[in-house]
Amino acid sequence: MDRDENKIEELSDTSAETIDASDEEDERLFGHQQHPTGADSPLVPPLFTSLPPIQDSLETETSQLQNRTIQECLPLLAAAERAAGGAIFDFNPYGLPRLDRERHVAFLQGSLGRLPSGFVAADASRPWMVYWALTCLYLLGQDLAQYREEVIATLTPMQNPDGGFGGGHGHYSHVAPSYAAVLSLVMVGGDEALNLIDRKAMWRWLGDLKQRDGGFQVCVGGEEDVRGAYCSMVIASLLNLPLELPSTSSAKQNDSDTLITGLREYLARCQTFEGGIADSPDNEAHGAFAFCALACLCLMDDPQKIINETLDVPRLISWLSSRQHAPEGGFAGRTNKLVDGCYSHWAGGCWPLIQAALDGPMPFDGPVAPTVGTIYSREGLTRYILCCCQGKRGGLRDKPSKHVDAYHSCYALVALSSTQHSYFYMGTAPDKPITPLTAAFHWASSPRVLDSNGEIQEPICDEEDRVKLIHPIFVIPWGVPETTRAWYEAKSGL
Amino acid sequence: MGSYADDSKWADIVPIPQDDGGPNALATIAYPDAYSEATSYLRAIMAKNEFSDRVLELTADIIDMNPAHYTVWLYRAKTLLQLNKDLREELDWVNPIALAHQKNYQIWHHRQLLTDKRNAYDGEREFIGEMLDEDSKNYHVWSYRQWLVRRFDLWDDKEIPFVEEMLKRDIRNNSAWNHRWFTVFGRYRPLTDIKHTEQSKQAASFAPLSQTGRTIESYPDSLIDREVAFAQEAIKLAPQNQSPWNYLSGVLREAGRPLATVKPFVEQFANLDEPEKVRSSHALDFLASIYAGEQPTSGPSSADESQKDVKKACQALDLLAEKYDPIRRFYWGWRKDIITKEARATGTA
Repeated sequence: MDRDENKIEELSDTSAETIDASDEEDERLFGHQQHPTGADSPLVPPLFTSLPPIQDSLETETSQLQNRTIQECLPLLAAAERAAGGAIFDFNPYGLPRLDRERHVAFLQGSLGRLPSGFVAADASRPWMVYWALTCLYLLGQDLAQYREEVIATLTPMQNPDGGFGGGHGHYSHVAPSYAAVLSLVMVGGDEALNLIDRKAMWRWLGDLKQRDGGFQVCVGGEEDVRGAYCSMVIASLLNLPLELPSTSSAKQNDSDTLITGLREYLARCQTFEGGIADSPDNEAHGAFAFCALACLCLMDDPQKIINETLDVPRLISWLSSRQHAPEGGFAGRTNKLVDGCYSHWAGGCWPLIQAALDGPMPFDGPVAPTVGTIYSREGLTRYILCCCQGKRGGLRDKPSKHVDAYHSCYALVALSSTQHSYFYMGTAPDKPITPLTAAFHWASSPRVLDSNGEIQEPICDEEDRVKLIHPIFVIPWGVPETTRAWYEAKSGL
Repeated sequence: MGSYADDSKWADIVPIPQDDGGPNALATIAYPDAYSEATSYLRAIMAKNEFSDRVLELTADIIDMNPAHYTVWLYRAKTLLQLNKDLREELDWVNPIALAHQKNYQIWHHRQLLTDKRNAYDGEREFIGEMLDEDSKNYHVWSYRQWLVRRFDLWDDKEIPFVEEMLKRDIRNNSAWNHRWFTVFGRYRPLTDIKHTEQSKQAASFAPLSQTGRTIESYPDSLIDREVAFAQEAIKLAPQNQSPWNYLSGVLREAGRPLATVKPFVEQFANLDEPEKVRSSHALDFLASIYAGEQPTSGPSSADESQKDVKKACQALDLLAEKYDPIRRFYWGWRKDIITKEARATGTA
């Protein structure tokens, strides 16, 4: 896209002079252009342009913040309705603004460069900075192999002799930066990147994080939560680490104890009375932890089997479904909190996993035929991401009043990909049962297209606004988990 | 803070400069000089495993510049414990940092480590209150309070009034509702019972794991009545507030009471005879569950089938899909599918 300026935000500005003289010019030139839906019916369904049908009169801090958020989103959601003349070309036939691909690429490339001193707060999160940007750049169509040497150079000093990665050189090993570092290395791929990881030490270190109650600490002596469990299991699964607990693990009580002993029980204890999942038992249900827990379960076994046996699924779905707000269209992380671009993935990313739990494995040798299908609003989520999260100068954000950053860019774009694809758990042939920590390698996907009648059930992006396919559990490019695992399986020993 | 290089106290230390990956490294940060220098001394100190008073000064200096540096907090905690420092004093030092950095979570793990070691909780609930005055839904702060209550067995008469005060300020504060749940029911779900794992394996045959692990057969009626009434009073204040609805539903399910026991109450806010006058989409959702004859997910008693009416359940779900909560229309449709399929299978349609 070569537009000189992005009109999305100007158009949303309720204050004034949003349409400049050149638009009048455009109108004369393109006056014959009519929107495909016709002039009388709105481009954007009223659901996304009007206030919720029921609002209580009692005002509290929560309702004030919620109303403010609606007010900052509405003009952006309805921008296409007020776009006159040539500005109409900034929107697709469903009233969605274009994905500002070039500016996003530029912003994310910038986030991999030299960062100003204000980024000191990110000093313990540098592997994350790398992971977020690479994931975005892949989604936007960039080739990641070009970053291979840089990624290796960046992460090498962060790997500790104990096997984990720290957030920076000299930082303690921690599962969050280790997750980000491992994913970044496998995304750029190649022997050197994959050989960099000391798998034997990593395995021992994960054994140190394992707790007797089944969960994982995030670092030795650090807090225990479902992030710890998800990140550890992603690493163990991708790197083909042994399932058994190293003898050095203090969690080892019986010879038969493994990395996943008691883990399902631990995750079950994190489900709350609301149906959602907390970071650890007793705490409040939260979208980010729901994703971690569900993805962790999907790493362990067939989603239909393990999710239904572990969690109260109807309550979980009831809670998750309530996190999607109208008119905003996006997801909030908790009950009575605000939508935020990152929950497009954390909460929104639960849907493919839950759907697999409802649909069950697709017939191993037959056509893919989901029985349940989508039970959230892909349209709403797409609208929130494209209308409300895109920053004027590239990058994506929490909500219109916030600044863009690599973190929100990553999870908004990951979610955009999820809205554009369907995912299926394929299962295995009857004579080849799932072995622990290999379940996530048996997924399939397809882009969402027109249905058999040639109609779109829910508005989707234009073809040019499609982003690449991402794995719903590992959250890295599609296909990379399988090739990575195969590479490590082919390597003899640890 | 002056330069470490010029300070005779640090003369014996050879700083280890940061290796940020060479000229091609990604996402490098233009650190302020003071930060670069201090972290170079930290690496050197950690390499020799030194625990001393000057380490406390150095870690304080770095925390001041970057409180999100988890390693420096952990190393500081180790140092404090090695030196047998007064941990209450440390907590007092931490308080203003926590107040200034609301989103920081390293501080809360630090606090938990120290409080656990101190084996005392004086001042802690008061400080939590101060934090929540600034950000009433701070996840880390609430989590810390839950840990504190469990750790020190504070299932006493201070927690419920505290929750009620928080809810008086904002009846929609879901973190406070979660804390109420924890305060009322948490003590019946111990976390430290390792045998729980074995029990739950058996229980999994008839209920999802998350519904197991309770130590009480049935709750006192008075307790459940009190909680039901509390949720109902809250709903009357603002019927479209989802938190007390979730709470009400949770309490009934936990106690094994049929949802239908509150049907007259629910109908004050959503009545199928007056579909234009629905005052709460959550009431409509609740009503659909009642008409669907949903089973309580735990507890001894079974569902009350007397209120089951598939047609009415579908009517409520249609109203939600078409009018009162259409962003979730596929979800409502899915619920409807389940109910109608079930009905066809059992011949009750």
